[in-house]
Amino acid sequence: MLEKNYLWRIYWRLAGVIMVCVVIALAVVSYFSHRVFDRELVPETQHKAATVANSVRALMLKAIGYGVPFAELYGVEQTFGEVFEENPEFNYAAVTDLDGQLLFHRGKEPQGTREYFRSPVTLAVGLDPSASWKASKVGQQYFVSMPISANDKPLGMLHIGIDSKFVDNVLLELLLDVLVVLVVSLFFTLELLNFMAGARLASGLGEFAHQVERMRSGDFTATARIRANDEIGRLLRRIDAAIDHLNVRYEFLVGELDDKLRAALGARREALKPAMAQLESIRSRFRFGSASASVEGDEMNLNRIRAPLFAFILAEEMTRSYLPSYVNQLLVAIPGFSPQVVIGLPIMLFMLIVALGQPYLGSWSERVGRRRAMLIGASIATVGFAATALAFNLYDLLLWRSLCALGYAMVFVAAQGYVLDRTGQNNRAQGFALFIGAIMVATVCGPSIGGILADNIGYRLSFGVSAIMAMLSLLTIARLPTTEMRAVSTTKPARGPRLREIVALMLNRRFMTLTGLAAMPAKVILTGVCFYLVPLYIVSIGNTSAMAGRMLMVYAVMMVLIVPLSASLSDSSMRRDRYVSVGLIISGLSGLLLLLSDSFLVLFGVVFLLGLGQALSIAAQSALVAEHCQEEIRIYGHDAVYGVYRLLERLGNALGPLMASILVVLWGYQGAFIAISALVLVCGIAFTIATRGLDWQQTAVASP
Amino acid sequence: MGTIRVRFILVALAVSFFAVGMAAFLNYFKYKSTISNIVKSRVLVVGRNIENSVQASLAIGMQFTELQQLTQLMQREKSSDRLVRGIDVFDTSGQVIYSTDRARIGQKIPNPWVLAAERSKTTEWATDETDEYVAGISLKNAFDLTVGYLALRYSREEVERAAATAGREILLAALASFIGIAIVAPLALVVVIRRFERDLRTLEAAATHLEDRGPQPTTAGSAFDTAIGHLRASLKEANKSLDDLRAKLDSAS
Repeated sequence: MLEKNYLWRIYWRLAGVIMVCVVIALAVVSYFSHRVFDRELVPETQHKAATVANSVRALMLKAIGYGVPFAELYGVEQTFGEVFEENPEFNYAAVTDLDGQLLFHRGKEPQGTREYFRSPVTLAVGLDPSASWKASKVGQQYFVSMPISANDKPLGMLHIGIDSKFVDNVLLELLLDVLVVLVVSLFFTLELLNFMAGARLASGLGEFAHQVERMRSGDFTATARIRANDEIGRLLRRIDAAIDHLNVRYEFLVGELDDKLRAALGARREALKPAMAQLESIRSRFRFGSASASVEGDEMNLNRIRAPLFAFILAEEMTRSYLPSYVNQLLVAIPGFSPQVVIGLPIMLFMLIVALGQPYLGSWSERVGRRRAMLIGASIATVGFAATALAFNLYDLLLWRSLCALGYAMVFVAAQGYVLDRTGQNNRAQGFALFIGAIMVATVCGPSIGGILADNIGYRLSFGVSAIMAMLSLLTIARLPTTEMRAVSTTKPARGPRLREIVALMLNRRFMTLTGLAAMPAKVILTGVCFYLVPLYIVSIGNTSAMAGRMLMVYAVMMVLIVPLSASLSDSSMRRDRYVSVGLIISGLSGLLLLLSDSFLVLFGVVFLLGLGQALSIAAQSALVAEHCQEEIRIYGHDAVYGVYRLLERLGNALGPLMASILVVLWGYQGAFIAISALVLVCGIAFTIATRGLDWQQTAVASP
Repeated sequence: MGTIRVRFILVALAVSFFAVGMAAFLNYFKYKSTISNIVKSRVLVVGRNIENSVQASLAIGMQFTELQQLTQLMQREKSSDRLVRGIDVFDTSGQVIYSTDRARIGQKIPNPWVLAAERSKTTEWATDETDEYVAGISLKNAFDLTVGYLALRYSREEVERAAATAGREILLAALASFIGIAIVAPLALVVVIRRFERDLRTLEAAATHLEDRGPQPTTAGSAFDTAIGHLRASLKEANKSLDDLRAKLDSAS
C-alpha cells in the first residue's frame, strides 16, 4: 500500500534539514563566542603574564642583588621552562638588554620577534624604570614586555609571549561538547518529530491504509470516529462520508425492496426476484451498516507511550555520568565499609529495588491501570530527584535514591504493560522495538547532557534538571488515553515468580547456563563498569563528568547501532548462542585492554568494545531462554521462567557496583576493570563450551 | 498552511532552541570557568612567591609560627596586584596566624576553606565565599608535611563583570542565530516536505472526488497512487452493484 518506511524517509530528510540549520546556528554562536573570548580573555591573560613576569623579574633582581652580572645570570631559561609548565598559554619568554639584543630565551621564537625587541617603542619602555609593562601584538603573537632595572638603573627587558592559539585551544575544548549537543539534537529531532507530528501522522496514515484494506475486502461498515482537524483527518472524514453515502443508498434500496416485496403478489413478486438475487449478491460481497465498537484508534496508538517513557528515562540517565562523584561529595564514613564500597551503595540499592520490585509491580500496575501506575511512579521519582538535589548526606541520599528506584521500576513496568496490552502476537516485537528505542535514545542523550550540566552548574542543580524532566514526563503521561486495554493474548493476570519456581529454576542446568553464565555477567559488567567504574575513574584521572558522559554515550551509540543488526542476524541465522558467546568474549576482553596502558584512548577502547560485545549478545540472550528452556516453560509457565530470568539478570545489575567497588578497594581502578572483564571472559568461554554440547544442540533443534 | 507543516516547523524550532541554547550555555560557562582559572592562577602566582619565602624560612630551621617578616612580605605581594583583597596564613586547625588584615589574626577561618584545602589532590585549592573568591596553597615543610595554608582572597567583581559582559554578548549571538533559524528553517522545511505535501494534496483531491461518477483527477507520481486506485475501485464496484440493484428494482416496477 504505502512504501515501507515512507514516513521514516520523510523524517530523515526533515532531520537532515534541521541538522544543517542547527550546524549553521552553532557555527554562528561559536564565531561570536570566539570574538568575545578573544577580546575578553587576551587582556586578562596579559594581566596574568605581567604578574608572572613580575615574579620572574623579582627573582632575577634578587640574583643581581647578590652581585651576579645581569648578562651572566644562571638558570633563567630553566625558570622560563617552569613558567611554561605551570602556564601552558605562555609559549615564549626572553630577556633582552638595553639594545634589544637577546640574552636569554626559551620557546619557539615567533617571526618578527627580533625586530620587535629592537624597535624604538619597545626600547623606550626598557629605558623607563617607572614603566610597569607594555602589551603588544607581534604578528599573531601577543607579548607582554616589562623593564628590568636595579636601583633605578635600567638593565634590559623581560618579554613573555602568549600563545596566539590559546583562545582557539579553549574553544577547541568546547568542540567535543558541541559535537555531543549535535548528536543529542539529532536524536531529539527524531523523537520530537515522532512526538509532535509523527505519532498522529503515523496513526492517521495507518488508519487510512486500514480503511482502504477494509474497503477492498468489501467492508463498508461506517465507523463513528472523531477525526483530527488536519490533512489526514480531513481525508479520513471524506472517506467516512463516501462510506456513509453508500450506506444510506444501500439502506434506501433495501427498504424500497422490502416495501415492494410486502406489497407485491404473484407476477409482480416474480419480477422482483432479480433484484432480490442482486441484493443477495451484494450481501455476499459487501458489508454495510455500523462497524462493531472497535478499540482501535487513539487508545491503541503505541507511539503515544514513547514520549513519556523517553522523558522519564532521560531524567534518570542524565544522572549516570556524575552520580558516583556526587555520592563521593556527600560521603560519610560508615564503620566497616571502605569509601569505595559506600560510593557504590546508592547505585546498588537502586538496582536492587528495581530488580526486586519489577516482578510484583507488574501485577500491581495491571490492577491500578497502566496510566495511573505511571503517574504514581513518575511522581515518586520527581520527589526523589528533587530531594536528591537537596540531600544532606549519604544517609538521606540513599532514601531519596530509593524513591527514584521505586518510581523508575513503576514507570518501567507500567510502560511495558502498556505495550503488552496494546499488542498481539503479530505486532508485539514492533511494540517492544518502540519501547526499547525510547530507552536507547534516552541512554544516548542522558549521560552526555547530564555530564555537561554537572560540570557547569553542579551536581545539585543537575539533579534539579532531572526532577524537572521527570515532571515533564508526568505531563506527557497525563496525556495518555485514560481507557485501559487488556492484553490481547494474556488471559490471566501477570504475577511475580514464586520462591518454589525460583529455587527449581536456579537448580536447572540449562536455565542457569543461560542466566548464570550469560545474562548475569553481562549485567555485572554493564553496571560495574559503565555506572560505577567509568564515571569514577575518569574523574580520578583529572577528567570531567562531561567526559564520563561522552564515554557512556559511546556505549549507548554502539547499542543503538549494533543491536538491531545483531538481533536480525541472530534471528535469521538461528545461532543465537554464538552471538551470545562472541558478545561475552568481546565484553570480557574490553577491560583487559587496560593491561596495555591506562591512557585515555585505551579507556575509550574499553567502552567501545564493551558496547560492541553487549550489543552483540543482548538481543539474543532472552530469545535463547524460549529456545532452550521449552521444558521448563512447559512445567513452570512462560511468565515464571521469564520472571526468574529477569529477576536474576537484574540482580546482576545490583551486583555490578558492589563487585566493582570491592575490586577497587583490593586492586585499584585498573585492577577492578581487569578483574570484572576477566570474570566475564571466563563466563563467556564457559558458556561457549557449555553450549557446544550435544544436549544443548538437541534442545535447540527440538524447539520450534 | 497545513497543520502538519506547522508541526514540523515547531519541531525544527524546538530542536534549534535546544541546540543554540546549549551552545550558548556551554560557551558562557566555558568562558566563565576560563576567566576564573586565569584570574585564580594570576592570584596564585602572587601566592607562590609567599610560599617560596615560607619554605625557604622553614628550610633553614625557622618555626612556622615565628616568621616575623612574613606579614610584610604578604603586604608587599598584596599591593603588587590590585585584585587581591587580602592574604591570610592559617594553621591546620583553621586559626589565622598571619594576615594582611591585623583584625583577622587569631580568628578561625570558615570551615569550607579547611575542607577545600584538605580535599585538594594538589597543593592548590580554591573555594567560593559570598562576596569574594579564595585561592590557596598548602604550605609544606622539607619533609612534605603540611604545616599550614596560604589563602588569597580576591574580588568576585572582576570575574563577574567579565562573565556578565561575555554572557550578554553570547546571549545576543544565540538569539540572533535562533531568529535566523526561525526564518530559514521553515523555508528549508517547506522545500523538503514539498513532495510529501503534494502527495497529501493528491490524496485529499482524490478523496474529494471519490464519489464523482465522471472522470477523476489523475494521481500519477504520488506515493498514494496504489491506495487511491484501490479506494476508487472499491467504491466503484460497490456503487456499480447498488446501481444494478437500482436498475433491477426499476425494471421490476
